Amino acid sequence: MNILITVKKVVDVELNMHVRDGAIVTDGLQYVMNAWDENAVEAALQLKEKHKAETTVVSIGGGEDVQKIIRRAYAMGIQKGIMIDDPALADADAFVYARVLQKVYEKGAYDLILMGKQAQDTDNGQTGIILAEMLGLPCVSNVIGIEVVDNTHLKVSRVGDFGTEELDVTLPAVITVDVAINTPRLPQTRGLMMAKKMAIETLNLAKLGTTAEAVGCDAPKSRILQFIAPETRKGGRKFEGDPAAVTAEVVQLLVKEAKVL
Amino acid sequence: MSRILVVADIKQGVVRSSTRELLSKAKALGAETAVVAVGSGIEGLLPALAAAGSDTQYLADDPSLALFSAGPWASCVVDAARQFSADMVWFGFSESGKAMSPRVAARLDAACATDIVDVTFVDGAVEIVRPAITNKVLQRIKILDKKLVAVVRAGAFQAAAEIGGTENPVKLSPPEADLRAAIRNIVSDAGADIDLADADIVVSVGRGAKDAAGVALVKSLADDLNAGFGSTRAMVDAGFMPHSKQVGQTGKIVAPTLYIAVGISGAIQHLAGMKGSKVILAVNKDPEAPIFNVADYGIVGDLFEVVPILKQEIQKVRQ
Repeated sequence: MNILITVKKVVDVELNMHVRDGAIVTDGLQYVMNAWDENAVEAALQLKEKHKAETTVVSIGGGEDVQKIIRRAYAMGIQKGIMIDDPALADADAFVYARVLQKVYEKGAYDLILMGKQAQDTDNGQTGIILAEMLGLPCVSNVIGIEVVDNTHLKVSRVGDFGTEELDVTLPAVITVDVAINTPRLPQTRGLMMAKKMAIETLNLAKLGTTAEAVGCDAPKSRILQFIAPETRKGGRKFEGDPAAVTAEVVQLLVKEAKVL
Repeated sequence: MSRILVVADIKQGVVRSSTRELLSKAKALGAETAVVAVGSGIEGLLPALAAAGSDTQYLADDPSLALFSAGPWASCVVDAARQFSADMVWFGFSESGKAMSPRVAARLDAACATDIVDVTFVDGAVEIVRPAITNKVLQRIKILDKKLVAVVRAGAFQAAAEIGGTENPVKLSPPEADLRAAIRNIVSDAGADIDLADADIVVSVGRGAKDAAGVALVKSLADDLNAGFGSTRAMVDAGFMPHSKQVGQTGKIVAPTLYIAVGISGAIQHLAGMKGSKVILAVNKDPEAPIFNVADYGIVGDLFEVVPILKQEIQKVRQ
C-alpha cells in the first residue's frame, strides 16, 4: 500500500495569542505539526508495521519550520517527504490546498491519502473532503479506526451524530482522522539523528506541473478581513469553605440570580 | 433577496431546535427560506419543517437513506440547493453537517465556512464571523463567491418566538448509493440519553471523578436535572465515557443555559467546547484550576463531598 500523508505547519495553540489592529501578533509564536496530522502519521505507520506500506508526507509551505515538521515525521518512521514551497501559496484556502494536493496525488501512485480531520490554525476541516471530491475518490472523515481487509478494501469507523458509523471503503480513498484514533509515538533519539540526514523533495507549482492561476490563487472564494480577540469570559465568584454551606448558597444563586434552575 | 436553504437536523423522527434557530436567522436577514430533509420515513415531518420557519420543504425520503452516508446525503442537499437557486446553504452544528458541507461546497463550487457565529450583509456582500485557532481568535471573513455553504456553530442564532412557515413540499429523487464508502452500520453509544446538543443543562465529568463510581455519581446529578451528560477527552481516553459524549474542540461544542463542570480542570480544548454556555458552574478541589477562570460560579471542594449536597439542594429548590 502506498500512503500519502499531509502534514501542516500550524501555530502552537498551547501558547497565548494576541490580536492587534485586526491581525495576530506573531512575535513569540511557535509552530508545530498540526496535532491531528500527527495522528494521521501514526495511523500510516501502524499500517506500515502491520502490512507492507510505503509512506510519504507532504507539506505545503516553506522555511525551517516546515522542514522541521517533515523531519519530525521522518523521526517517527516516515520514509519520504515532499515540501511544496511557492510564494503564490501564502494565502491559500482549502480549495487551493486541495488543488495542489491533487497534483501531488497525481504524480505518485498512492492508494490512500491520510490527513488530520482539521488543522488547528483554521479549524476548518474542509481540505481532505474537497480533495476527495476533486479526485472523485471516496472519503471518510472523523475516523477513529482503520482495519485492512485486503489490498483494496478497508473497514473504517468514524464518530457520527448518533454513534460510531462503520463503513466499507474501496481504495484509493481519502481518510481524515480524529485524535481518538491513536496516540502518536514520540520520536526517539536514533530516529531524530537519522531524520537530519534524510532528503526532502522540494517542489514549486511549476515543478508540480501547474500554475498559481490553475490552483485558484487568483480567485479566492473568501478573504479574511480582520482577526478579532474574542470576548474573554471572566471568572465569576469562587466559593470556598464548608461544602454544605457554600453548595446551598450557590444553588440559591443559580435559582435567584442566574435564574437557570 | 437572498435565498437560504437550511439543512434540517433530524433525530429519532424529531426536527431539532437548531433547524428553527437557523431558519429564524435566515428570516431575520430577510431571506427566502427553504429546508431540505434527508432520511427514511420522514414525510410526516412536513408540518414540523414548515412550522420551523420554511416556505419550501425539499424531502429526500427513501429507505436507502435510513443510515447517514455523507456522499449521497450531500447529493440530496445539492439537488435541493440547485432547485431552490440557493445562494446560501446552512447546516446546523453536527458531525453530518461537517462531513457534508465541504462536499456540497465543492459540487456547487461555492465558498465554504465552518463554525460560523454571525452572518451579515455589508454593501451587498456576505460577511461572516467564526472562531479559529482553538477559539483563541475570531475571524471576520468576506465571502467573495456568489454562493456560501456554512456550518453554523451551536447556539449562535436564537430561535424566534413567532415564525411564519408554509407547507410547500418538493420531493427529491433518491441519490445513488456510495458503494466505495458504504455505510454498514451505526453502533449507537448514546442509547436513549439526552442529546448534548439539545440539552438545556449539560453536566460534564472530568478526571476528578477518578473511576466508574465517580462517573456514576456525577451522572446521577445529570439524571436529577434531566440534563445532557458529557465529559472531557481524558475520560473518553480512559474508557469511562463514549466518544459521542466528549465536549471540546475535537468533540461536541455545546452552549446550554447551564453548564456544570465537575472535576474538570479546564484544558483549552475542553473550554473551546463549552465557553458559549450562558451560565457555568464548576466544582473542583483545586482552587487554581483554569475552569474557574470561565465559571460564573465556582465551588472549591471535593466533588465526592459536593455532588451529593448539590443533589440534595437542587431537589429542595425543585420541590
